[in-house]
Amino acid sequence: MELFWEIVISALMVIGGVFGLVGSYGLVKLPDPMTRLHAPTKATTVGVGSVLIASMLYFAVFRDDLSLHELMITLFLFLTAPITAHFIAKANMHRDWKAEDLPRPQGDGQWAIYEIDSDTSAEELDEAEEAES
Amino acid sequence: MSPALIAALPFLGSLLPALLIRTGRSHAAISAGVISGLALLGLLLNAPAILRGEVITARFDWLPWLGLNANFMIDGLGLLFASLILGIGLLIILYARFYLSKDDPVGQFYTYLLLFQGAMVGIVLSDNILLLLIFWELTSLSSFLLIGYWKHLPEGRQGARMALTVTGLGGLSMIAGMLILGNIAGSYDISAILQSKEAIQASPYYLPALILILGGAFTKSAQFPFHFWLPHAMAAPTPVSAYLHSATMVKAGLFLMARLWPVLSGTPEWFYIVATTGLVTMLVGAKIAIFKDDLKALLAFSTVSHLGLITFLLGLGTEAGAVAAVFHIINHATFKAALFMSAGIVDHETHTRDIKRLGGLRHLMPVTFTIATVAALSMAGIPLLNGFLSKEMMLEEASHTLWAGNGWIVPALAAIAALFSATYSFRYIAHAFLGPVRDDYPHKPHDPGFGMWAAPAFLVVLVVAIGIMPMTFAGPILEAAANAVVGGGLHMHPVKLWHGFTPALWMSVFAVVGGLVVLGQHRRLEALWLATPRPEAKAVFDALVGACVRGATRFTSALHNGSMARYLLIFVLAALAAGIWAWTTGEQGPPTRAMLPITPVAAAAWVTLLVATGCVVAYHRNRLLALVLISIVGLIVSLSFVYLSAPDLALTQISVEVVTAVLMLLALNFLPKITQPETRLIKRRFDALVAVAGGLGTGLLIYALMVRDFAFPTMSEYHLANSYKLGGGTNVVNVILVDFRGYDTFGEVIVLGIAALVIFALTEALLTGASSRKLIAWRPDVARAGDKHPLMLLVATRVMMPIALMMAVFIFLRGHNLPGGGFIAGLVAAIALVMQYMASGFAWTQARQKVYYHVLIALGVLAAGITGIGALFNGLPFLTSDFGYFRIPPFEKFELATAMGFDLGVFLGVVGSVMLALGGLSRLARRAAVGDEGFHVVAEKPEAREMAGHVPREVGLAGAMLRRQRKDGSEEGI
Repeated sequence: MELFWEIVISALMVIGGVFGLVGSYGLVKLPDPMTRLHAPTKATTVGVGSVLIASMLYFAVFRDDLSLHELMITLFLFLTAPITAHFIAKANMHRDWKAEDLPRPQGDGQWAIYEIDSDTSAEELDEAEEAES
Repeated sequence: MSPALIAALPFLGSLLPALLIRTGRSHAAISAGVISGLALLGLLLNAPAILRGEVITARFDWLPWLGLNANFMIDGLGLLFASLILGIGLLIILYARFYLSKDDPVGQFYTYLLLFQGAMVGIVLSDNILLLLIFWELTSLSSFLLIGYWKHLPEGRQGARMALTVTGLGGLSMIAGMLILGNIAGSYDISAILQSKEAIQASPYYLPALILILGGAFTKSAQFPFHFWLPHAMAAPTPVSAYLHSATMVKAGLFLMARLWPVLSGTPEWFYIVATTGLVTMLVGAKIAIFKDDLKALLAFSTVSHLGLITFLLGLGTEAGAVAAVFHIINHATFKAALFMSAGIVDHETHTRDIKRLGGLRHLMPVTFTIATVAALSMAGIPLLNGFLSKEMMLEEASHTLWAGNGWIVPALAAIAALFSATYSFRYIAHAFLGPVRDDYPHKPHDPGFGMWAAPAFLVVLVVAIGIMPMTFAGPILEAAANAVVGGGLHMHPVKLWHGFTPALWMSVFAVVGGLVVLGQHRRLEALWLATPRPEAKAVFDALVGACVRGATRFTSALHNGSMARYLLIFVLAALAAGIWAWTTGEQGPPTRAMLPITPVAAAAWVTLLVATGCVVAYHRNRLLALVLISIVGLIVSLSFVYLSAPDLALTQISVEVVTAVLMLLALNFLPKITQPETRLIKRRFDALVAVAGGLGTGLLIYALMVRDFAFPTMSEYHLANSYKLGGGTNVVNVILVDFRGYDTFGEVIVLGIAALVIFALTEALLTGASSRKLIAWRPDVARAGDKHPLMLLVATRVMMPIALMMAVFIFLRGHNLPGGGFIAGLVAAIALVMQYMASGFAWTQARQKVYYHVLIALGVLAAGITGIGALFNGLPFLTSDFGYFRIPPFEKFELATAMGFDLGVFLGVVGSVMLALGGLSRLARRAAVGDEGFHVVAEKPEAREMAGHVPREVGLAGAMLRRQRKDGSEEGI
């Protein structure tokens, strides 16, 4: 049984390592910011995630110490990494792109980043106001 | 009554008039009178014993290790002065009740007066020079209040300021002198100092101490060349002038000279400094007084002259001189107080004090005329009045005084001064009261009511009584006081009216006759006086003060020109100089510690740190990039804390980094994103050099420190050993914060709260007036992206908020034993809230904020304070923590410590402060974005929002408002 867990843990670590390496390499290799964005997001989610799961399994199986910290870290990473990527993409669009050069989004709206004074919370306020009246 | 109580009574009673003024002016006056009367009664109860030669003492150890003891004593000198202060004070209280008008804040007046009285009594009853110094400064402060009592008059304010400046500076000089004196004598108790005459006069520090102490005495007693403040202090109401310049404030300097007479006098230095100053002051003051048209100014300069007379007598250093000085102190107090009060009556009744507009008042104000005439004749030195006796004694002493071997210069000058004195006294009578009745007085004069002339009349009765029978009325107190001045063993010749045809008598006759002659020539002399140029003291003083202020401003602006770069330059250069000096002059042992191996992880972090720092230098003109790079540095520092086993510090550092980055971003919002070079290349090179030198120096110093063991055992050992035993926690850092150094932390929480409130106040100020218009007109220097609050971020922060808050609670709870604590937890909670602001915007979050951040800060300080006070109920010092173990099923046994309450205070304080500061800065951004008048008022306070009605609509963003306007346009249009 121990061997099985050892194999699983090792596999996870290798996967994590590979993704980390690929992510880092991609960061150097990929040509422009938008494509380059893919690399580190993969590295942080799958790469670091696998290592964390490996760590959790190792402590649970070989040290008899169930540690949930790693699960928390994974959760936080999964929650924050997409947002980071989202913001980098937005910043890139804002600085280096024009609306005309981009494919139009679905529906009759515009890319939010190019809308002047678009404001989610302001809309929410309006909704609240309507609900009141 | 105990001397301490006599000195304390006026202070304790000073609140009464201020409180009783609501029930009427008479009650305020009566309460002040009762206080003074009680103190006087208590003093007089001691009089028989003191006149027998005893000394009444009261001793309290106050700060014995400083030599500052609250020791009081009443001897003859103290009795004389204290009874003058309290007795004349009582008369002034009566006089002021009728003198001050309905519009004057009488309660304040009596409160100031009692404070001043207490300070004066304190001076004369102190048996410790440090205590005396405290009372001395108190008289300067309280006289400032009294002189500036008529706050609406610029002369009053300027006069008060001048008096405070001059006497305050003198006080500083006296502090130095007194400390030297106490050091020589080995004690600060006056009774001990008075025993060590030989040691003091033999000391090489005798002359500096003498000059410094005399600096204090001369400024207080308005001796030449410091006499100029006294006439300007005449802007005060007459009761104040009568009190301060007859019996009290200006006599404090004389008292001091008399008090220290036994140890300081008798040397040539004393004689030449004190007697000469006194003589010159006597002459100069008398000469100026002749030509003053303002009744009070005339009296002011005559006071200067008479103070000079007494100083001269003390300066002679002879026993007879001391007796004469003491006698003249009594006489001057009686006739001068009466004269001031009569001048006040004239002013009160005619509405002018200008001699040129007066005359003929003897027919209109016979009572006042009688009082003023008797007092003025006494001042002139006419027989059968007390002024004659002491002036005769002065002339007698002067007649056989040698000055630098010259036998005629002192008597001649003294006689001339006496002549001048007679002149201005006669002028006071002749030009104000004699002559024809005029019809152009500003106000038709008549004698005032009894209440107003009762006090001067009483004093005039004393003037006559002492003048006729000196030994009966003033003999015992004179002998006791003079005995105290000379330090015991005095053989006093009885004061007599008739001594035969002595030189002094001829000098007196010369003075009186000459005075009449000079008065006859007054018109011609005045023309001459007006034609000769003379320095105007106020102009000189103002120029001096102006020069000092300019110098100070120039010095300050050279150091503090508002440029951070300048401060840092001065600071770094000073630190470098100190470091180099210490390094070159000190010794350092050989290195005792070996270098730790450099692990790859550490090396990688180090390289990252270096690269990031280098990049900050290279790219610092791009501010956003610099901020990112600085964050990298902060991150590596946090990691290195983890690496070096300091998880507490790492946690703190990383949360501080986050909050700092957010704060800087908010501030950067309003700043240009690119720094333009503002200095010349050479200056930048120099700055770079200084920076490199400072950095290298610090690095080398730390390296040198780290390769050696500490020279002294550190505190850490104690903390490590006692953290659990005394503080009940295994997290030493936290125990230090909340227990060992809890008082520091308490202070820091308060400081943090104050800083946040200041930021709030500053931004609040920016939201109104000119800066508000500037904010509204402000346009960002880079294009703004749309989609300010992306949905993804919104959802994520909502999810993160409870987790982050949970984290904060977790960190808070475990803080005492494991890394964590209130400070970190507070930062984490603040970050959880800041995330909402970032994701949803200020208005949205503010509308949902239920607690006011100011309240959080206050609650934090209160929680910490109450926990600290709790220890007092346990009989332990403030902030001592207690802990115990409890078991509440089904939980395991757990620890509860009072430190947790304290930590809760820290937590609340940190959350409140961070949020208030961030809120303040982001409100500026909101203001700039919305630009709606009155918006900011609604934004911060939940109550205010409610008062403004429907909140979210009011605080709506620009877009929301536009939309609403479009929607409601039809209705509003109608």
